[in-house]
Amino acid sequence: MNDVQACFHCALPVIDQRYTVDISGAAEAVCCPGCKAVAELIRDSGMSRYYSLRDAPEPGVGKPEESAGEWEIFNRDDMLAAFAGVNGRRAEATVYVGGMYCTACSWLIETSLGSVAGVSDADVNPVTHRLRLAFDKTQTGLGDILAMLAKLGYHPQPLAPESTAAPELLEQRTALKRLLVASLGMMQVMMFAVALYAGEFKGISADMERFLRLVSFFVTTPVVFYSARPFFAGAVRGVRSKHPGMDLPVAIAIGGAYAASVWSTFYDGPAVWFDSVTMFVFFLTVGRFLEMRARHRSIDRSVALSSILPNTVLRLDGDTESTVPANQLIAGDMVRIRAGEPVPADGRLVEGTTSVDEALLTGESRPLRKTAGDSLLAGSVNLDRQILLEVGSTGVDTTLGTISRLSERARYTRPAFVRVADRVASYIVVAILVVATLVAVGWGIAAPERAFEITLSVLVVTCPCALALATPAAFAAAGSRLSLLRLLVTNGDAVEAISRATHVVFDKTGTLTRGQPRIAETRRLSERYETDSLLEIAAAIESASTHPLARAFQAVAAKLPASDVEAAIGQGVSGTVNGKRWYLGRAGFAAAGPHAEAEDDDRISVYMGDGEKLHAVFLLDDEPRDDAERTVARLRAMGLGISLMSGDRKPAVARIAARLGIDRYAAECSPQNKLEQLATLQDAGEVVVMVGDGINDAPVLSGADASIAPAHSALLAQTNADVIMLGEQLAPVVTAVEIARRTLTIVRQNLAWAILYNVTALPLAVAGLVPPWLAAIGMSFSSLIVVLNALRLSRMGATDRVAAA
Amino acid sequence: MSILYILIPLALLVLGAAVWAFFWAVGSGQFDDLDTPAMRIVLDDDTKPADDP
Repeated sequence: MNDVQACFHCALPVIDQRYTVDISGAAEAVCCPGCKAVAELIRDSGMSRYYSLRDAPEPGVGKPEESAGEWEIFNRDDMLAAFAGVNGRRAEATVYVGGMYCTACSWLIETSLGSVAGVSDADVNPVTHRLRLAFDKTQTGLGDILAMLAKLGYHPQPLAPESTAAPELLEQRTALKRLLVASLGMMQVMMFAVALYAGEFKGISADMERFLRLVSFFVTTPVVFYSARPFFAGAVRGVRSKHPGMDLPVAIAIGGAYAASVWSTFYDGPAVWFDSVTMFVFFLTVGRFLEMRARHRSIDRSVALSSILPNTVLRLDGDTESTVPANQLIAGDMVRIRAGEPVPADGRLVEGTTSVDEALLTGESRPLRKTAGDSLLAGSVNLDRQILLEVGSTGVDTTLGTISRLSERARYTRPAFVRVADRVASYIVVAILVVATLVAVGWGIAAPERAFEITLSVLVVTCPCALALATPAAFAAAGSRLSLLRLLVTNGDAVEAISRATHVVFDKTGTLTRGQPRIAETRRLSERYETDSLLEIAAAIESASTHPLARAFQAVAAKLPASDVEAAIGQGVSGTVNGKRWYLGRAGFAAAGPHAEAEDDDRISVYMGDGEKLHAVFLLDDEPRDDAERTVARLRAMGLGISLMSGDRKPAVARIAARLGIDRYAAECSPQNKLEQLATLQDAGEVVVMVGDGINDAPVLSGADASIAPAHSALLAQTNADVIMLGEQLAPVVTAVEIARRTLTIVRQNLAWAILYNVTALPLAVAGLVPPWLAAIGMSFSSLIVVLNALRLSRMGATDRVAAA
Repeated sequence: MSILYILIPLALLVLGAAVWAFFWAVGSGQFDDLDTPAMRIVLDDDTKPADDP
């Protein structure tokens, strides 16, 4: 699309061509000294292969942060005690590694930490992004290890010991065991079943038949009572809460077939169904296992909440300042917060004047000015200068904690969702069993000598495997297809919910827009300078500033050198370019004398002057993403309603809505407001997909029928989203809807085929016209068709990616 | 055919042993990471850094 080079390390566009790094003999362009340092570190440790093995990186992921000394304090013994278990010289700690995105990352981390003296164990779990560390604390410190991770471009976050228990790991272990028992059991029982079928043709001694049934019984029993236990538990729970889900028919099918087979085994009944039971359990368990794996890809809650807050804070005890872990703060503590640091707790500003960024919490796109006495929210970022905070509430009592609780509650009130396909499948299983029993009894009275063979044919021909496979196969194929298209599905139900969506709700700041100011318009206020040269001078001065508004000027290449750059707190920045002093910021700062600060609209004005006269004003604005308009139009063309819900001020929301052609919009929404509006939509019968990135979107994301969060969004938003969208574009939303719809089509085709097959084969089998061998071929054939049909999904959408790129 | 009366229970014993071994392996954390090992076999062929013992 454009010829801007992407950084070799972090894939951000390379604006300044100065930095290159020599990898395997080729000079690769990188975007900043930080990325250059990381790439050289990786090369010098002999791990250049990381670059050829990793997946395509997310732009910006892996870019190192500019904080140097921050990790030092983790070498202290009291910090070690707070974040690690110490046993003699050996210390064990768990670190959440932010910025990991593929398995090559875990290799890189393990290999580089393995060569650090004193580290005896470094184990990265790429699913949970957790690094388990064991090291000799006399040889190396936790701080050194964290600093090393930071140098590699990751964002490490030590976890307090109590939050290190990983329930998802235990769940995965149990699920694996259940899966193995079911699969081995199925294979064994299938072998015995083949022997029993063969006995039908060639004759089998009654003793041997009884023996094979007994053996099948032994193998099936653990499959039913161990592997299928979640289904029984789910059924019981459903009956107790008077909301029987799809687990109930499944449990009846498994339990009924098992009980009938046990009876046959011990009382010489007409047939055993052990093979059907184990196969059914196996396919269901596979489906659940794949779903669980997808779910575990989402980031876990405890980390999500704490990663927004700082690890350590500067606490004032009388006249002395000490660095303490943030989780030790209590109400009434005095905390010093430097410029650029996040606010660790809700509280009151005691000393200092600054502006804070609350965009993630409220959706407000402009920095807010705060003076002594104002309240500050945990999770907002202090932008301008050092301030003193009196802690009011901490942890779960903060606004941030409330939003997190609100989103958990919303998840429970999410519209009940039962997969149509699964429900159909399980009812059919029950119907098959009933029919089979009737056939056995009926033929047993009419022609006892043929009863066994015919019942067998009925059961085999109507084997539920095609039905059981119809949905999981399609969803598994859709999941892998979506992940190739850079959409990570973390909730298996999401695909079907998205396919039935009727309405898409967007958040504004950071979702439809970039969430970063850009220069929207430059107005000249004097005739002396050309617009371009004013822009260049401004860029030169702003490039030396760390203020977030300064990033707006990054798009302009800074070719001129600026000297003596000074920031005036809350006013602006000044600097000397070509021997002339320039002032950028508020009108009164840029030039002497009274000025009407013409904040005519919602845009931020940055004035430029030489101290005497104003020469220009730059209007900064949070611009929509490049493909926002196209995405909205395409979604509308697909028949979806679109609305916009934002916490930002009305003019800003109205302007974006008008630009993108969205007529339903709401501004200044609190998280609670957003939830209420969502409920109104859902009550009107809409199936709603929410796309949002802020912490304030988290409750709506979990309350919506399905939700999508961009990968750059707040972790709390990601944990509440069903699909995580990688990349800087919105087009994947369209792709998600397209693939989800095709998936549902495939599921319907599969179910239609399975039902059609069963409906035609069943009467023939009941009438005794299908011999067991033909029934077996028919069964395999129908399963194969279902799987092949689902696999068509893996090839779909390849054209979309080209179109989106 | 009567050999089956011995062979099948024997096979079940082996099966039980396999299940036990798998449970032990899962319990000791060998299956906690299902993604990286697939990669590691490719990666270990890389040139070792000079300071790697």
